[in-house]
Amino acid sequence: MFRHRYSMPMFDMPKDDMPKPGMPSGALGLLILRVLQSGPMHGYAIAQRIHVLSSEVLDVEEGSLYPALQKILLKGWATAEWGISETNRKVRFYRLTPQGERQLENELRDYDRVTQAIQSVLRTA
Amino acid sequence: MEKLMEILRRLGYLFTRNSRRQELESEMDFHREMSERAGRPEVRRKFGNAERLKEQAREAWGWTWIDRLGQDLSYAARTLRRSPGFSLTAILVLAVGIGVNVTAFSLFNMMVLQFLPVRDPQSIVRLQRRSPDASTNTISYSSMIFYRDHANSLSAVMGTMGTGGQRFENDGQPVSASFITGNYFSELGTRPATGRLFDPALDDASGAPPVVVLSYAFWQRRFGGDPGIAGKVVHINGKPATVVGVTPYALASLGGAHPDLWLPLSQTPYFVEGSTALAPTSSSGPVEMWGRLAPGVSAKAAEGELRQLTDQLRKQYPKDVWENEYIRSDPGGHDQIMQPDMVLVMSAIGGLVFLILAVACANLGGLLLARGVAREHEIGIRVAIGAGRGRIFRQLFTESLLLSTLGSVAGLILGYVTLRITMANANAPLWMTATPDWRVIAFTFAVGLVAAALFGFAPAWQIARQRHRRTIVRQTLLAAQIAASSLLLIVAGLLVRAAQHALYASPGFGYEQVVAVDLGQGSHGYKPAEARSLLEQFRTRAQAIPGVTSVALTSMQPLGHIRVSTISNTINGHLVRIFPFSVTPEFFSTMRVPLLRGRNFLPGEEHAVIISDSLARKQWPGEDPLGKQDASGSGPGDVVVGIAANARLMDMEDGDTVQLYHAAKEADMTDLTVLVRTAGSPDGLTPALRALSQSLDPKLFPEVRLLKGEFNSATQSAANIAAVITALGFVAVILAGLGILGLVAYSVSQRTREIAIRLALGASRAQVLRAVLRQFSWPVLVGLAVGTGAAAFASQILRRLLYGVSNLDPLSYASAIAVLLAIFALAALLPARRALRLDVARALHQE
Repeated sequence: MFRHRYSMPMFDMPKDDMPKPGMPSGALGLLILRVLQSGPMHGYAIAQRIHVLSSEVLDVEEGSLYPALQKILLKGWATAEWGISETNRKVRFYRLTPQGERQLENELRDYDRVTQAIQSVLRTA
Repeated sequence: MEKLMEILRRLGYLFTRNSRRQELESEMDFHREMSERAGRPEVRRKFGNAERLKEQAREAWGWTWIDRLGQDLSYAARTLRRSPGFSLTAILVLAVGIGVNVTAFSLFNMMVLQFLPVRDPQSIVRLQRRSPDASTNTISYSSMIFYRDHANSLSAVMGTMGTGGQRFENDGQPVSASFITGNYFSELGTRPATGRLFDPALDDASGAPPVVVLSYAFWQRRFGGDPGIAGKVVHINGKPATVVGVTPYALASLGGAHPDLWLPLSQTPYFVEGSTALAPTSSSGPVEMWGRLAPGVSAKAAEGELRQLTDQLRKQYPKDVWENEYIRSDPGGHDQIMQPDMVLVMSAIGGLVFLILAVACANLGGLLLARGVAREHEIGIRVAIGAGRGRIFRQLFTESLLLSTLGSVAGLILGYVTLRITMANANAPLWMTATPDWRVIAFTFAVGLVAAALFGFAPAWQIARQRHRRTIVRQTLLAAQIAASSLLLIVAGLLVRAAQHALYASPGFGYEQVVAVDLGQGSHGYKPAEARSLLEQFRTRAQAIPGVTSVALTSMQPLGHIRVSTISNTINGHLVRIFPFSVTPEFFSTMRVPLLRGRNFLPGEEHAVIISDSLARKQWPGEDPLGKQDASGSGPGDVVVGIAANARLMDMEDGDTVQLYHAAKEADMTDLTVLVRTAGSPDGLTPALRALSQSLDPKLFPEVRLLKGEFNSATQSAANIAAVITALGFVAVILAGLGILGLVAYSVSQRTREIAIRLALGASRAQVLRAVLRQFSWPVLVGLAVGTGAAAFASQILRRLLYGVSNLDPLSYASAIAVLLAIFALAALLPARRALRLDVARALHQE
């Protein structure tokens, strides 16, 4: 899912619970990292942010958000620390690590290359 | 580096996963609350999935399988506890199957794999002379010293020379002694029970005072464990020597040597008067050579250096060093040095014990299948509430794993007990313990895993797919049990017959009334002419003892183990092992080996040979061998003058009995053994013969052996093997019988209704019985056929190991098959009778 070589991420989906169309799971990691770049935030805020920024096209579900966050934590791309939410509840805030920054750059570069490649196929074929 | 950090983090999650789960759950609950607050209806819709979502998130950690395994295990434990009868049976069956394998492996482990408890056993090597066509396990003292002084790849060289028959004080019984180099005990790091052991500086120096070290057992037996033994002077072969110490109780020695006395090899000429053991004569000699590899040197490298030294030695003794001779090194720090011919024996034993496991597993597989039907309801419910096949398979297999683990533990205990009993009866070295080491434990659990795969896989698959009504799997399992158990029983039958053959069939010579007397004249430095006159006097005076009917001389004592020589020749395309004897003419009448044709040796005859009937038939089939020259193994100019009957003189397990007899020459005299035949029982003759030798030369202390004792020990091993295999065979057959019993009982209980209807409609009891048993007829037939075929194949291998195993021994096969059929019939009929005694009305009402 977060393999360094970004080979057609759209088709690399977990088997048991496929996310709804419109939210390619490979892209989810990239989006999370990108959103976290603007500062630490909790899970619900990440989902909201993606929802809003995509003009409500992309809908991040719990079923894919939390597994993706667990993986990001394991990979060491982000750390989690406890904080107080705007509703005064204890909740975990995710913060991008320098490793995560690097990963984001790599993924963005790969993503650009792939989209450009796809674009050129679409234009010329 | 990043990968490593990730693994560490993952491991961290494993140990903190409970608190992590709470964190994750509270986080996800928060997410849900926020969503609900934002009024997103689809969240409420998915509320039922909350637990599943949380599980999915946790799966990212990669540890859910542990939790599932825990669930499966506790479920399996509960299931097994609920049916203790089944669980106990299964564990017992497994304990037998695994225990037999554990015992066999433990023995192998103790003898071949385990290191001796000595200093740095890994670097000890056994060094033996080899060439492409010759081999010997001993070497001359001078060659050993040569290798010791010149080999840089060896940090130490040790020499041992075992002997029997030393005289201790004036005891009637001879004691055994090992002559060893002074560095032996210090190299092995042996600590004395009392006093000191040998020290090369003190005891190997020329002119060093004579010393002896007692074995612990001898110290206890002869001296009652006298704590002040060190410093006492004792007499060995009449020579005074100071006892310096006692070896420890659980002594670990090289090559499993456990003599009564340990003496310095350098003092051999003192203790054995006239001994030529140390004389720098040739490269062949009586010393066993051991080495310790220098640090960092491989055995291969040492062999390479020793080969160069052998070439230098050849320049000194051009005649005595063989063509292409080299020194072979084998790991020496074990109880047994693994030899190539042991591999075949070991794999044969391994195959047999594995068969027991296979029978046990097939048996258990049948039980599990039958049980699967009883659990149909439970499995059905679990499938109905959404358990996948994979999940059910995993759960059932976990149950099998739990069973096999319990069976392994029971098997380990059973193996331990068997081993304790075996070791107590087999005179095992005292340092050996039956306590399983890590190898045995790992082996046990590996066997348990294999067993679980064998008995659990097929049933779990069948049940998970809910196709357990198919009988084919059960029938196959039954056929496998019958095949394996019939193979074992037939092989057992063959071995019992072989043992009987060895025990009761005539070996071709008379041994009951013969005493062998080894005067040891050669080791006391007798020259041939002196030896001849000694033997001549001994013969005349022995013949005068009342009850003695004849006296003969031979170079090899029948059934003996020392000074045995063989010639391996190819005769008409077959490799044949020939035993060359040098004998006096009285040999044939004394040993009761009849001369079939031709004549005996004439006095003083030089170029005459007598050959055994089998050698005649092998070399000149259909021809008259009398008068022919070039009998295989004979010298140039030797003419065949007689044909002797076949006799298994040297090897009870030798079916070929190829012998070549020369008339004993002057040069042979130093090595001849006296054979004395008596009219009555030879038991009381020993003291008279010993006294006779003493009166001729007081320094001699002869070895006197009754041939019937040698015969018994030679046949004992065959009898022991047969007994063990028979026990294994019966274990297998009883397991298979129980398997049949269970399957028939199960099948009858399944078909109660059908049987009742048949009976109600007027079927005869015999017809019903046939209907019930029909499904078992082909597995029995196929199983028997496969088992018999495999036994025929196995007997081919066994024939190479044991004399008297015949290829197609109809009696063994027939009796084994008859026993099997009887047991199987009994096992099938006992439960089938229930079907016949059925109360038809009640059976039909019940359903």
